[in-house]
Formats: sequence, structure tokens, C-alpha cells
Amino acid sequence: MPFFAGEIFVSEVSSKPVLDQTGEEIGKLRDIVVGMGDLFPAVTALVVGAGKDDYILPWESINLFNRRVISANVYVKDLKKASAAPTDILIFRDLLDKQIVDINGAKLVRVNDLKLGDVKGRLCLVAADIGLGGLLRRLGVESRGEKLFSLFHYKLQQRLIGWHYLQPIEPKLTRLTLTISRQKLPSLHPADLAEIISEVSQKERTAIFGSLDVDTAAEALHELEPRVQADIIDDMTKERASDILERMPPDEAADVLGDLPEAKAQELINLMEKEEAEDVQELLEHEEDTAGGLMTTEYLAFPPNMTVDEAIKELRLEAPNVETIYYLYIIDGEERLLGVLSLKHLILAAPHEKLKDIMIAPAKTLPPEAGEKDVAEFISKYNLLAAPVVDDNIVMRGIVTVDDVLDFLMPPASRKKRRRR
Amino acid sequence: MTRWKKFILLLSVIGPGIITANVDNDAGGITTYSMAGAHFGYSLLWSLVPITVALIVVQEMSARMGAVTGKGLAELIRENFGVRVTFWLMLFLFVTDLGNTAAEFAGWAASNEIFGISKYVSVPLGAFIVWLLVVKGTYRVVEKIFLVICVVYLVYIPAAVLAKPDWVDVTLQTLKPSFQFNTPYVVMLIGVVGTTIAPWMQFYIQSSIVEKGIRKEQYWASRIDVIVGCFLTDIVAFFIIVACGATLFKAGVHIDTADAAARSLAPLAGRYASILFAVGLANASLFSASILPLATAYYICEGMGWEAGVSKTFKDAPQFMWLYTILIVIGSLIVLIPNSPLIAIMWISQVINGVMLPFVLIFMLLLINKQDLMEQYTNSKTFNVIAWVTAVVMIVLTLMFVATMFF
Repeated sequence: MPFFAGEIFVSEVSSKPVLDQTGEEIGKLRDIVVGMGDLFPAVTALVVGAGKDDYILPWESINLFNRRVISANVYVKDLKKASAAPTDILIFRDLLDKQIVDINGAKLVRVNDLKLGDVKGRLCLVAADIGLGGLLRRLGVESRGEKLFSLFHYKLQQRLIGWHYLQPIEPKLTRLTLTISRQKLPSLHPADLAEIISEVSQKERTAIFGSLDVDTAAEALHELEPRVQADIIDDMTKERASDILERMPPDEAADVLGDLPEAKAQELINLMEKEEAEDVQELLEHEEDTAGGLMTTEYLAFPPNMTVDEAIKELRLEAPNVETIYYLYIIDGEERLLGVLSLKHLILAAPHEKLKDIMIAPAKTLPPEAGEKDVAEFISKYNLLAAPVVDDNIVMRGIVTVDDVLDFLMPPASRKKRRRR
Repeated sequence: MTRWKKFILLLSVIGPGIITANVDNDAGGITTYSMAGAHFGYSLLWSLVPITVALIVVQEMSARMGAVTGKGLAELIRENFGVRVTFWLMLFLFVTDLGNTAAEFAGWAASNEIFGISKYVSVPLGAFIVWLLVVKGTYRVVEKIFLVICVVYLVYIPAAVLAKPDWVDVTLQTLKPSFQFNTPYVVMLIGVVGTTIAPWMQFYIQSSIVEKGIRKEQYWASRIDVIVGCFLTDIVAFFIIVACGATLFKAGVHIDTADAAARSLAPLAGRYASILFAVGLANASLFSASILPLATAYYICEGMGWEAGVSKTFKDAPQFMWLYTILIVIGSLIVLIPNSPLIAIMWISQVINGVMLPFVLIFMLLLINKQDLMEQYTNSKTFNVIAWVTAVVMIVLTLMFVATMFF
């Protein structure tokens, strides 16, 4: 079992001499190979270089590994030249100085240094140092820097993030982490995930998106800017793209499709399941920035003679499929809107009461052509969470939820959605 | 893609090249070209030909790296050469850009002096305006206004023509390289290169390309934008040198104040030469003063891994805010020192650019030839040759400069 001293930073052993059984120097430590697959990747080998040649020493052959001495129980003359493969994960080449996702902070950080420590008896990668301390240590002036700071009564904060909170984003690393169980990116909120996705380069973006499951991908896709959405969809196979679009609520899918070139959008719609495709087509008929363009077709609709009791039972079944359950829309046989009922009033009513007796009628409605500004004013004026959209015959077409309108109310610089061309 | 669609695409990606070209003709640029013409006549004109070629190559490389990798230059350097190298490079570039920022404020001060406004009034005002523009985020609109006013530089074309230069002589000097092995000439040559191919511009153009989201498939359109920008900038440079050569050099006028430089526009504008010159210089200075320190703060933070963004607070992005503030404050303070030689500040900063250029170029060359980074978009042999030659020539010139100081 190799002996190592507690915790160590990789910058502290970089280029240190590695000795063999006889005490002769094999070369300088060039890199450290780790095996991805565990929560904390374990060190599997050292790459030692002497001049032009590299040697790979498996971890089992190392008997001392600390700041002062690194030695292996091999003989120099027995070693054969070997280089690390491009598919190996090397600490200095592939992880140091790269950007990495901090799951806890939901943002991208740059790795200044890496800490190795003992996990269940093996030397593993335990944390990344993203702070100034790491920078100074790499420059070799950590202790001097600390002294300087202490002159100003400033204590240099260590900023370490545990490896279990980090997700590498280098394309080949994400591909490898696909094979193991722990995928941390999906635990991020879609909006945070989308922000990170929009900040990284295209290759990394494709890799990250490719590693997400369909549901997470659908949620994240909607939060992205139209231009980024189009780029990502271009990089995917049409099948995967239509799968993801199917998972999205129709109004979100319509937003994405509306921003793609018509030919491409039609292709994807044709690949989607019939029902979803129909919903989306209907929404696409309206102008983007009108009530019709903002609305969703997934809402709760009940007949007027249903009792409160029956409605609640039905609600439990329908809830997963609708955008919001806070309002119930009471419609007749021809889908004309008769009235609206809030969840609060539903719950407060007696079980045998009929919906038509407790609903608010007539409901306040918007026409599909209403502009964004009017929609926002409407929702603000009546303090609604969602507004029903009806056509000239009072037939219910969909609802606009307040989150879609909030984006419009934000100052231009903070708006998520930008109009294309 | 239909021709119409291609045209639309071209329009949508235009920006980085044209803007960079105009920022090239900043206070440092105008001054350096004017001095080149005034002190050396047409004898430096030949250098514009190889410089334009080098400029196109270098800018194209930056743009290509941006489109293919989707990352900024500082980030690429950090990821491929490590933090130590990045740190030292950033340190030197910070000092270089401090000089450049001072040059912009010097230009602003000098042009205002032509209007009789003391630098102690104009510089703090200018610094405040710049800070306001950036922090209040109305930058996009102002950028367009600045760009429009940059059209003023086209006046150098009629100015040069009206000065009735000996066009045969001009053509000969442009096509036939000549060289003088003395300090002023070598230094001026370094300055001319440095002001045309400024290190910070490579970071800026690459970041602009990345920010516009231009991908390798659309890259051909950006390439056109970049090349056109390079030609524009050097055409203006050419005419500035000719105009100054035909007027100031003939009259033996040595430029040590902006007013002297303005006289090169006399054939065109008569008594209004000074005003015309001052308007152009003031505009260029303020425009560049808004871009340069910001770009520097951005790329340094990118390389060192610090948070950056003008909408962030001092608490969220301290290093970015401090870098930006220090650049503006010290940049303007240098100019405010009593009797500081404004003209000298402007052209010496460009010489420093020229000296630092080879280092940035070498990094770019090492990066752009990496297969795993650039896939099939690595440099062609021609490009490699041109870029390496440029780097080597600049190093040789710098050594020569040092040598001429001692012999």
C-alpha cells in the first residue's frame, strides 16, 4: 500500500523528482492519471518524464508519495517507455486550468489547483481550489502572499470545492462520466443549467447537452436564448430533437420551433407524436408576441354540472398534464368558456356543490391577438396567475401564465427572450 | 445557401472587423501615422504593404480561433499553457494597455486643447463620461454614434490629394522598401507596426467573434468582415502618412503638439484644419477609451479565472472592477501630470505595443497549429510563414532598437 502524507495539492508535487528502488532518479513527475467512475476519482498511475521519454508507473508500484519524496519500487532499467493515451484522464493536462461546473454554486469556475486526499484507503482527487490561494500556490508564492495579506489584516480565504460538487465539462470527460451512475448536472435547476450551457464553448455545450436525459434537456432547452437553442438543435439528431420537443409543454415547444427556420421546424413537427404536434401547430399559428403566441393549451377544463368532489378527484388525475392547477376553467360542450374557479375556492367549497354555482362568471378574458403589453397589463390589473384566451365565439383557446409575461416586464437588458432579427 | 441568404448572413456578422479597424485608428494610431509622415516623409510608406498583409493574417487567425473553439484568447492560453505563463503575460499586457489607455486620454486632452479647454478639465470629464457609458450600459447606442463619426477620418483622403504630393514619388516609396539603420527610424517602424497590430486587439476581436456566437460554418462571412476592416484601417493610415508627408515633412515641421499635426489638414480645410483634426481625434480617443480598458479588464479576468461583467458589483467581481477602474484612473492621471508630453505618450505606447506583439503572436501560433484544438482549421503553411516572419521581424527590430541606443 503506497504511503502518502494526508492531503496534498498537485501543484506541490508537480515536476518533483521520482526515485526508483535504488534511489536513482527516474525522472520528473509530469502528470497523474486518474480513473473516472467513482465519486472521488482515484489515482491509478503516475506519468514520469525524463527528457523526451515518458514512463507510466502504476499506482501499486509507488511506495512513497509526499511533498518531499516520491519513490517507486521498480528499477529504472526495467522500465519501458510509454505515453499516456488521449483517452486517459490526466490531472495536469485535462483538469488543471480548465473550467468546471460548481453544482452547489450553480456556476462555472476555473480550476487553479487540485487536492488529493485519502478516501477509503486510496489516494483520490477530493477537491478543486478555485481561489486566490490556489493561484498563488501555482505561482509559487503562497506563503509570501499570505504574509503580505496578513500585513493588511486580510486572511487569505481558502476556496475549495469538494469534488462531489463538481462536474467536468471537457467533451471527452463528459462522455466518460456517462458510463457511471453519478451524473450531477441534472440536479441543477434548469435555469441555472441553461445559464452555464450558454457560457461554455460550443463543443462543451454539445457534450453537456448530449449527456442530459430527455426531461432535463427539455427543461433546460426552454430556458436558453433562441440563438443558442437553434445551435443546439442543429447539433442533435432530428429524432432526439423531436423527443425533447415532445417532452416540453406545447407553448415552450412552439417558442423553440418558432425561432427555427421553417423547413427545419416542419421536419421536427412531423417527427413528433401526432397529439403533441397538433397542439404545437395550433400555437404556431399565432404571432409570437401576442396572447395566442404566449399561451399554452394545457389547462384544467371541467363541465359546469360537475360537483366539487368529482372535480377534486379529476384534478388529481389531470394535474401532471397541465401548466397550472390554480385555476379551473368551466366550459360547455362546445368548449365555450362559462366561468373560472380558483383552487382556493374549490377547496373551501362543500363537496356536493356544483361547479357552476361557485364559479366566477363571466370570466375576464383576452383575445388571441392581444399584444404582450396588453396581456401584461391585464394580468397585473386583475392580479391573476393566468389569463384565459378565447376567440370571438368565446371558445377557449388556451391560457397565458404569469411567468411568460414576467419576462416581458423585465428591463430590456435582463430579458431572456430576444426577438430574432 | 442562396445568395440572398448569404448576404443577410454577412450583414449580421459584420461588426468585429469594422469596429476593430476603427479602434485601430485611435489617438495612438493617428499620432503615430502623422509623425511617420511628418518626420520621415514617404520613406515609411513601403512598410504599410507588409504590415497590411501581416494584419490580415493575424486578425484572421484570432477570428478563426474564436469561431472554431468558441473561447477567448486568454482562456485558450490559460487552458493550454497554464497559469504561470498566463499570469506573466497578463501582467505585461496590463502595463502595455495602461500605456494605451493613457494614450487615449492624451489624445482626448490634446484635441481639447485645440479648442482651448485645459486638460485638467477635459480629462476628468472624459474619464467620467467613459465610466458612465460603460456602467450605465447604453454602450451599444453610443458605439454606433462613434462609428459614424469615425467617418471623419476619410477626410485624410481628400487632404492628401489636395496637398498635391508627388504621386510618382509616393508610389515608388510604397513599392520599394528602404531602410535606415538609426534609432528614430527603427523606433518609428516598431511604432507603426505596434499601432496597426496592437496585442490587445487580438484578444478583443477573438472575444467579439465568440460573443457574436459565430460558428465555424458561418465563419467565412466573418473573414470578409475582418479583411475589409484591415484594408480600411490601412487605407486611412496610408493617406494620413501621405498628407503629413506632403505638408509637414516638406515644411520641416516637427510634431510635438496636436496643433502641429492638425496643420496637415490645412490644404483641405484651411483655417478649419485644426478643428477638423481635433474633432476626429477627440472622437477616436473617447471611442477607444471606452473600449480598451474594458476589453483589457475582460481578458485579464478571463485568463485568471475571475468574475467579470459591467453589470456586476464590486463585491461580485472585485478584480474586474478594480482593473477597469485602475486603468482609467491611472491612465488619466498620467496625462494630468503637469507638462506631460502628450504626443510622446501617444506614440511611445504604440512602440510598447510593437515590442509586446511577438510574444502574443507566438502564443497564437502555438495554439492555432494544435490539431486537437482547431481540428481541420489549423494554419496553412503560408499563414504560418507570414505570422512567424512577422514575429521574428518584430523581435529583430526591437533588438535593433536596443542596439542603436548603444552604438
